[in-house]
Amino acid sequence: MKHWISLGASREIPWTPLSKPLSRCTVALLSSAAAALKTDQPFDQDIERQDPWFSDPSYRILPRAASAGEVRVCHLHINPCFAEEDLNCVIPIGRLNELEALGEVGRSAPSHYSYMGYTLRPEALLAHTVPDIIRHLRQEQVDAVVLVPV
Amino acid sequence: MGLVQREIEAAGFSTISLSMMPELTASVGSPRIAAIEHPFGLTMGLPGDATCQLEVLRGTLRALQEISQPGSVVNLPFEWKSSDRLKMYPPEPPPIVKYLRRHPWYFPKFLKRTPPKVHEALPRPRQ
Repeated sequence: MKHWISLGASREIPWTPLSKPLSRCTVALLSSAAAALKTDQPFDQDIERQDPWFSDPSYRILPRAASAGEVRVCHLHINPCFAEEDLNCVIPIGRLNELEALGEVGRSAPSHYSYMGYTLRPEALLAHTVPDIIRHLRQEQVDAVVLVPV
Repeated sequence: MGLVQREIEAAGFSTISLSMMPELTASVGSPRIAAIEHPFGLTMGLPGDATCQLEVLRGTLRALQEISQPGSVVNLPFEWKSSDRLKMYPPEPPPIVKYLRRHPWYFPKFLKRTPPKVHEALPRPRQ
């Protein structure tokens, strides 16, 4: 029986070359920390508590001005206290804004994104959530995406 | 994260994924990986350590620009100092940990990341 590691290794790797210098690119961040604004609906931790092979497959938008005090972190495999004290531990929104101010990055996108990492059944995430995020990325004319796991 | 990254890259965006488990991320066919030896939950660095967070982000973006071969891994030059004694564990054990304690025969499926069918996997009521 083959498992997914050997199946994945033989797959073709998708490739989009960076089309312009980073100093002219719009960059978005995507975090698997299950971070949500406190004014937004929290991620549903009970889904994973009931079926530990699966987790809430939805996502949340974090605006580029979001700061730690405004965000709740719902990932069940980490201690959320660090990210709730300083969001930049897991989603470097503030640091990206600084690189924009320094001119090293063209623009920090208006929106960044978070979903609930750790699922061994990613079908719903890949079929619904990721296409929705891709639509937002297109609307905001993003060029490059930095994915930050926890 | 690698599976999500592949979809975004295929949709026409240049992507890079940080990873604390680069072999695992690479095994699903991630286009670009910036490997980092930081603890889970502290990918960019400690709270308040803006210098470290900024340098990790800079290193990641540099790797995004420099990688020209699909599937490449760049090792970011950061070391976690063992003196940083922190409470890394989540407040409650992750559900999969509790589940495998009660269902140890599913451990091989966990290692192979091939979950059992939904009806098999749901916790059964205690007798």
